[in-house]
Amino acid sequence: MREPAPTETPAPARDPLTTAMRASHVLAGVLVVGALAFAAFGAAVGDTFYLRLATEALIFAGLALAVDILLGYTGLLSLGQALYFGLGAYVSALTLMAVPSFWAAFGAALLAGTVVGLVGGVIANRVRGVYFALITFGMAQVVGKVVYNTRALGASDGLIGVPVVDIGFGPWSFSSASPAGLFLFVLGYVMVLYAVAAYILDTPLGRLLIAMRANEGRVAFLGYRPVTARLIAYVIAAVVASLSGALYPMLRGFVSPELLFFTTSGNAVITVITGGAGTLVGALYGSLLLTVIKSYVGSWTEHHLIVIGLLFMAVVIFLPRGLIGLVRPKIERMLSRERKP
Amino acid sequence: MAVLDYLQFVLAPQMVTGLALGVAVVLVALGLTIIFGLLDVINMSHGEFYALGAFVALALGSIGLPFWLLLILVPLALLPIGYMVERGLIQRVFHGGDRHVTTLLLTFGLGLVIEDVLKLAFGPNPHRPETPISGGVELLGVFVPNYRLFLIIAGAVVIAAVAAVVYRTRLGAMVRAAAYDRHMAASLGVPVKQVYAGAFAFGVALAGLAGVLLAPIYSVFPTMGRDFILLAFTVVIVGGMGSIAGAVVAGLFLTQVQAIASLYISPVWTDPIVFGIMVVMLMVRPQGLFGRLGHA
Repeated sequence: MREPAPTETPAPARDPLTTAMRASHVLAGVLVVGALAFAAFGAAVGDTFYLRLATEALIFAGLALAVDILLGYTGLLSLGQALYFGLGAYVSALTLMAVPSFWAAFGAALLAGTVVGLVGGVIANRVRGVYFALITFGMAQVVGKVVYNTRALGASDGLIGVPVVDIGFGPWSFSSASPAGLFLFVLGYVMVLYAVAAYILDTPLGRLLIAMRANEGRVAFLGYRPVTARLIAYVIAAVVASLSGALYPMLRGFVSPELLFFTTSGNAVITVITGGAGTLVGALYGSLLLTVIKSYVGSWTEHHLIVIGLLFMAVVIFLPRGLIGLVRPKIERMLSRERKP
Repeated sequence: MAVLDYLQFVLAPQMVTGLALGVAVVLVALGLTIIFGLLDVINMSHGEFYALGAFVALALGSIGLPFWLLLILVPLALLPIGYMVERGLIQRVFHGGDRHVTTLLLTFGLGLVIEDVLKLAFGPNPHRPETPISGGVELLGVFVPNYRLFLIIAGAVVIAAVAAVVYRTRLGAMVRAAAYDRHMAASLGVPVKQVYAGAFAFGVALAGLAGVLLAPIYSVFPTMGRDFILLAFTVVIVGGMGSIAGAVVAGLFLTQVQAIASLYISPVWTDPIVFGIMVVMLMVRPQGLFGRLGHA
């Protein structure tokens, strides 16, 4: 037997998808460090406004994460993810008004997101492609209009007067009225959602979703059931959106039907595409970026949609992988270089 | 007879109002469905082109141009805009990976920009142009405002003209051929690129025409396209994406459903009913009632 020369056996290349996901984790770590510094600075100067703004950005990042799970992995564009975000927000608000406990609201939003996500998934997954976008859009419109006209849910005013709650983990507890405390909590919460989503999408199920995006027919020939996999992805996205929405009344003290409307869904889509679809971390950076643009441009004109719309169109045309796509390949190369001796 | 009174004073006026809205919706939906049938593009900015048409009419009307001239000028003004959007924006992503999603996103972004530009130029408050024809007539004992009657007739003429062009002319044959098989059409000498851009511009011009026609009935404001476009999308989905007959049938049917339902239930609940019809239609027959442009 001939011994191969050492140069001919490079270290087994790491799976490129895993490397890409690790690069996302590096960027997520950078985000956390930056956010911690921001929180420390904000708490030191006693800021409330910017901490609350950043908290809201993180909450909407959770919604964008849900859109990315669908768009970036299964390739299905949801134009109605606000349905589940609003669902979580309303369920959480109603629960908090009855039982002022964070964990009760969390559990209720988890349950509601799963059940409604299953129902919505069975309906929406009957169709694909452009029809999927339209059916999700239609479902969110139906529910949004119904909520808007239901007096028991506060109709067009929404639900106001959601009480401040103490969020507790065993011995530790803090009030949702504390800006820095809530910011840190939401940061941790959204990072957990990110980590869970990243973990699930790196399992064989996640690979199956990626394979389905490439060619669903072949996946079926390989013996998998695409319908089941798509339903699971849909329910995961619904739960992530619902759990993000559950935080909204804790921050703002109210919920309104606007949370269910197309503007909210559309913003999440803009966030994901601008940040970078299929990267997960792009949803987080995209949400922060859009919030910065909105508040910066909004300080001298109320017409920030022109700027955001043009940026969004430019990204669609020139950067199919979003802004993260400019940075992440460099990190991927660094990560794969590290492994070489 | 109470039944006849009910028909004459309650049901019939409601149906006429619904018909006027229906004709306008069909005009908007025709543009959407032709663009989808030919280019495979969901034009999310269609509602904003409808609003743009209304605002251009408002601006030109305020410098003293008569309404009748606007009916021709506004669609003509939107034609080059639509043409440039197709050539300059949509063609850039048209041949990329997922055409449906990228073109939908691109036109969605364009809609945001147009809406905000309109807000910047005209302010967010509603404007109400004067009705060009006042008064009304009695038809078979039913009072019909003259302008609505005009709207119904003018809309019907335009719809018939569009159908005649698509199904009876050489130009229409080129459009249908390009929709059926663009490569074969191109090899037979159809200028496919120009047909694509022209059809997009034509759809946009139809939306603008609907904007001019509806401005005297509904107010003109920058987000006026949003609610209207939902109805138009519903019509296109129920009728069949890319079907001209489908847009007409579904447009008239759904607006009648809305008009009649609002007699019995609060009008705010008619929207959920119409969207519900759309969701059910997508579940049971996603291709809609009729076949696609060029395929039937």
